[in-house]
Amino acid sequence: MTDKEIIELYKSGQKDRAFKEIVDSYSERLYWHVRRFLCSHEDTDDLLQEIFLKIWTALPSFRGESQLFTWLYRIATNEALNFLNKQKVRSALQFESLSSKLEEKIDEDPWFNGDVMQRMLMKAIQRLPEKQRLVFVMRWFEELPYEEISEILGTSIGALKASYHFATEKLKSFLEKNSELF
Amino acid sequence: MKSEKDIFEKIGKASYGVPEGYFNDLKSRLEAIPQEKSVLNGPWARIRPYLAMAACFVALLVAGNSVLRHTVSTNPAEQVQSEATYADIISLTHPEVFINEFEYANEDVTTEEDIINYLIESGVEMEYLAYSGGNQKY
Repeated sequence: MTDKEIIELYKSGQKDRAFKEIVDSYSERLYWHVRRFLCSHEDTDDLLQEIFLKIWTALPSFRGESQLFTWLYRIATNEALNFLNKQKVRSALQFESLSSKLEEKIDEDPWFNGDVMQRMLMKAIQRLPEKQRLVFVMRWFEELPYEEISEILGTSIGALKASYHFATEKLKSFLEKNSELF
Repeated sequence: MKSEKDIFEKIGKASYGVPEGYFNDLKSRLEAIPQEKSVLNGPWARIRPYLAMAACFVALLVAGNSVLRHTVSTNPAEQVQSEATYADIISLTHPEVFINEFEYANEDVTTEEDIINYLIESGVEMEYLAYSGGNQKY
């Protein structure tokens, strides 16, 4: 079912069925989107419940000014960032940085199937500033076009391209310092 | 010159696994959200906070009442006992407080004899004492 059909279904009063269609179409995509930020299957699973609860609650206020897809991604991204900000405070109280905490999670993740270089890349991504991390993940991993990323993050395409460029420079520099392949 | 694209393409995208059947289970859990929310938004949901407050208030009343019952006795024998206990606590430098609690409470503390003795000790002449007659009431 397309996004338009889902919205029409919701407006016709079949709210439960429309929500079920959203879950069918987007639960897995949003899982992977959130997973790359949280670096933990358990945290992602917990947060996904919160995200879909927010989606269900906010559906009546969705006016269709943006695509359903970008609206859902925006909710998921904001919730992931809120979660990470809370983690940041908790880490600071334990005299740790968030990035080192996330790197630990990457190392301990039993579900990570990547090789050494891919693990190193994931760790390097956690060290990027927030905006650059967001843009890089959405552009490189999820292959989203800049137009959609711009709608999701509310940032201009030019600023996104600049962020992506700086992100790739930093990652390349980090990988070169820490790898024998370069 | 290697482009950034080549470097990242050489590394490749990391892959993750999930527990078997995870996404089917996830969908079932997520699809239950509308039913769970409708229970939470039912008629009881609005009055639940007020019921909770009322329950707390009643619990406080019951707890306070049971504490008072155990500390304040209405048994006369126990009351006397408790007064005697307090008597031990009250300082002996306040004899009036001590005495007034018991059988001398309604009696005049200062007798005529006490007054005469006081006057004698303070050096009042016997003639004045005789004049007073000792029968005067004060």
